[in-house]
Amino acid sequence: MLEAFVLATILCGFLGIVLKKNLIMKIISMDVMSTGVIAYFVVIASRGGVFTPILGDTLRTNYADPVPQAVILTAIVIGFSIQALMLVGVIKLSQNNPTLEINEIEKSDRL
Amino acid sequence: MTTLTLIWIVLPFFVGFIIYLLPKGDRYLSLIGSFASALYVIPLFVQQTPINLQLLDNFGVSLIIDPLTGFFILTNALVTAAVIIYCWYSDRTAFFYAQVLILHGSVNAAFICSDFMSLYVALEVIGISTFLLIAYPRSDRSIWIGLRYLFVSNVSMLFYLIGTVLVYKANHSFSFIGLRGAPPEAIALIFLGLFAKGGIFVSGLWLPLTHAESESPVSALMSGVVVKAGVLPMLRCALLIEEIDPIVRLFGVSTALLGVVFAVFEKDTKRLLAFSTVSQMGFILAAPAVGGFYALTHGLVKSSLFLTVSKLPSRNFKELQKQSIPRNIWIILLIASFSISGFPLLSGFGAKVLTLKNVLSWQDIGMNIAAAGTAIAFAKFIFLPHQPAGDLHHAPSKPNFWVAIAILLGGLFVANFVYYEAYTLENVIKPLATIAIGWLAYWLIFRRALVKLPVIFEEFENLIGFMGLTLVLLFWMAVV
Repeated sequence: MLEAFVLATILCGFLGIVLKKNLIMKIISMDVMSTGVIAYFVVIASRGGVFTPILGDTLRTNYADPVPQAVILTAIVIGFSIQALMLVGVIKLSQNNPTLEINEIEKSDRL
Repeated sequence: MTTLTLIWIVLPFFVGFIIYLLPKGDRYLSLIGSFASALYVIPLFVQQTPINLQLLDNFGVSLIIDPLTGFFILTNALVTAAVIIYCWYSDRTAFFYAQVLILHGSVNAAFICSDFMSLYVALEVIGISTFLLIAYPRSDRSIWIGLRYLFVSNVSMLFYLIGTVLVYKANHSFSFIGLRGAPPEAIALIFLGLFAKGGIFVSGLWLPLTHAESESPVSALMSGVVVKAGVLPMLRCALLIEEIDPIVRLFGVSTALLGVVFAVFEKDTKRLLAFSTVSQMGFILAAPAVGGFYALTHGLVKSSLFLTVSKLPSRNFKELQKQSIPRNIWIILLIASFSISGFPLLSGFGAKVLTLKNVLSWQDIGMNIAAAGTAIAFAKFIFLPHQPAGDLHHAPSKPNFWVAIAILLGGLFVANFVYYEAYTLENVIKPLATIAIGWLAYWLIFRRALVKLPVIFEEFENLIGFMGLTLVLLFWMAVV
């Protein structure tokens, strides 16, 4: 169930990238998609249980898997830095292409 | 050797950041960084024993360095060194050299990774530093080209990440070998990411515009080494897991054909080179076991061609045919075009013979057509009118240009020794016949051909859309 929602989020993000005309909207769609991917890692990590794997007084068996959570941290950081970089690029582009419509940019690019 | 490997991996990043602190020594420092890689691979080729490293416990970083990787690392070192020397007297700032070196380091890292997560990190660092290099001129156009590149690569890497977690889910490990027990969707998703990074088949159609419109040194770096960072992991997977081998080989043939069809009809020098890169990636994939040598020769040829065409008076072949180009420039184009067409005496010949020997029988026809197509495409360079440089009012090239070209083309001659067994009568006749057919076809048909292939497939939205289609195709192939 949870998995289906997560996959729907990824799909929504992907469709947004294809269908939205505005460059900012495309970047936001990409963010939605990456949020979906990150959530998918978390869902996979919680297959065995949802408890934080810290050794305490009460021993449990249903701990969450720490490995996917740990590696997705890297992906979050990378994703956010790429997003920042793209937005800086968009700021520069917006000076001459105020609408940021992708068709306009590609048309002026080909001339 | 373990300590040496670790030092070698960290060195480019370390030196790259040092460049920011000592901007005066930027060119020397970055040259040291790339020479270190060239020196590092020597013991690797001498010993011929693969090194396996497992850092940081069970779920940590795993690295593998074998002679196959050695070829890729050597390509990276030579091309980076040549590009730095080419830029020696230009007014580029320390930022540029630092990025080149960081790119060099991340490409090295991507070459030696043998688990999907470290590979992801390396590929993303490559994406970021490539974007910074493309957008270095800060013009609107360069920023748009860079953004487009970053977008395509990031979306494909998101798909790749989903595949990675599916591999982990299946066997609690991120290593390449885990792909064997993984569900077909994991294979499809991971390969989609690598296809887009390596410019393979329709996912590679972002490549022509990006490589053609960037500055020449950056194009040389991208075509010479950066795309190979996506190709080597595919070779590794194909060698490890026999179920994946046919998929990689099939995409190799289709990529070689797709790239070459676009290349023979291309009227623009840099775009022709970019399409040829797509097709040559196909050659590397077509025979995974021997792809390393092919990658080396291709990297050297393609970067020297990209650096040389920037010296031509025009980018359009029609205009170039009306005027003469300096003879010394023409000779470089001639040597490089001969090598990539597979003419004996240059290592492109050995690489092509080796690859065509290692393809399966069903790949044979496709690969030979692609080889003839390559000869047709590069005949456009070979038959350009030329005259001695002194007769033309053309600014002579600086010595650093010749040093850069000497490194690349010298490498081509020296690399002949890797596969000197290729020089038998039978092996020599076949490429010569292929080239002859190619040149004949060029003079009879393609010289006057006015066909212009549509660029609609290269539009941004279509690129992303193709990604979805490729995913479906890959999934279907992985299931069957």
